[in-house]
Order: sequence, then structure tokens, then C-alpha cells
Amino acid sequence: MNEQDIIKVFSYIATSARGCIDEPKIYGPFRLVEIMSKLFWLLKSNNLIANDKLSRIIDKIDEKKYVCVKDEKKFIGLLDEVIDDLFELVD
Amino acid sequence: MNSIIDVIMKRRSIRNYQQEDIPKDLLLELVKAATWAPSGSNIQPWYFIIVNDKKVLNKIISFSPGLLGNPPNVIVICSDKKKAFKKGGKLGRDELSLMDISMAAENLMLLATEKGLGTCAVKSFNGKTIQKILELPDYVSPDLIISIGYPMKEAKPPKRRIVEEVSFENKWGGII
Repeated sequence: MNEQDIIKVFSYIATSARGCIDEPKIYGPFRLVEIMSKLFWLLKSNNLIANDKLSRIIDKIDEKKYVCVKDEKKFIGLLDEVIDDLFELVD
Repeated sequence: MNSIIDVIMKRRSIRNYQQEDIPKDLLLELVKAATWAPSGSNIQPWYFIIVNDKKVLNKIISFSPGLLGNPPNVIVICSDKKKAFKKGGKLGRDELSLMDISMAAENLMLLATEKGLGTCAVKSFNGKTIQKILELPDYVSPDLIISIGYPMKEAKPPKRRIVEEVSFENKWGGII
């Protein structure tokens, strides 16, 4: 992982923040879980993280995140599930 | 050859791409289809920036939260606001130009579908930054980014509102 990788993530976050002012409300939560996925894969590709349970949570996010524009209730369900899953991992 | 309705119903917004680059000739064919879209007052305010340089593409992706699934190529559809205003006035600049590039984008995406490509029309990007990355003049606005590539997998169709729900006969509420 180098400085450029971090700058790109920051660019994505700042652009998302600006976009969320005018964009549909549901895009905000979507961008946040998208950032989770981006950070995870960045850390994983640099061998800085190796937690199978966390990996499964991210896989779940990547598989189901696009439901946000099709079925908001299902997306909220996904977020609730992810929070429950993460709760099990926090010391 | 597919009928037009088959292609229309087959098109999906793709957000997961294979990394195979699309040949420039094919991308130019898509642009040609786009340029045959209707245009208010025949202004044709559009410009199409084909992005196939990975460095430029990665910069665009960094400032385009809506550009998902690592597309190998994008086409940025821009409108020349000066040209649109000169011939079309305020209506041309503020409304017709956006309608024109939207219709052009649909042509492009439908031909892409027929060629087995996936696309997604993206509006979630920072326009000022995209303008800087592509070195656009200040009167040329980046209005829509189309991601293009071979889809990783087939996408399921989202629910559509049925014809009877969205159409009326002769007046608002007129039962078909």
C-alpha cells in the first residue's frame, strides 16, 4: 500500500461527500458500505488483513449492495445484518 | 440480428466487468450510433471522450463514486454549452443539450448490448474534476459517463412499472 492508494480512497470519500449533498438519500449509506469494501480489498491485497469472518462480511456486502436502488427494505436488512456480524467480531 | 425490442429489454446497468480492453474501432462504432440520436434544433452539442489510458481512467474513477465494477473503458459524453446556447438559447443550453446527450447515450448503450458489451450510465462524479482530468474547455460540460466492458456475469432485470400503471388515454387518469 502506498500514499497514492490512500489519496485515491480519500478522493473517493471527498467526492462522495460532495455528491451526497445533491444525490438521492440512499446513495449515502451505499457509499459508506462501498468504502468498507474498498478499504478491505486494499488492506487484503497488501496482506494487512486476514480475517475470514470479516472477508465473508465483505463478500456479503459486495454481493448484495446494489439492491439499494431496487429494494430499499432489503438494503436496510443487509446493513442490519452487517452490523450484527461486525458486533460478533468486536473485542 | 436481434429485433430492437429484444435489445432494449436485454440491456442492463452493469457494475462488474471483465478486464479485457474494448478495441478502439468498436468504441468508435458505438460513438457513431450515438451521433445518430435525435437532437433539438439539430444542434448536436455532443462530444465523446473515449478513455482507454489506465492512468486517466483511474483518475476518473477516483472522483466518480458512481463508476463501479472496474470498467476497462469509459466514454465521457460532454455537451458544448456555448454551441447549445448560440443556436438554442437558454432552452438549448440548459435542457435540450442534456436531452440530446441522454438520447445519444441510449443509442450507444443499445448498440453495445447488441455487441455483447455491458454498459452503465453514470452521473455520480465530480464534474469540475472530470473537466480538469480531461482538459475540457470551460464551456464543455462532462454530462454523463458510460462505463463499457464485457460483463462479469449476466445481471437480473430490475422490476419495471407496468404499461397500464404508467400510461393514460387522452387525459391524466384516462383508463387505457
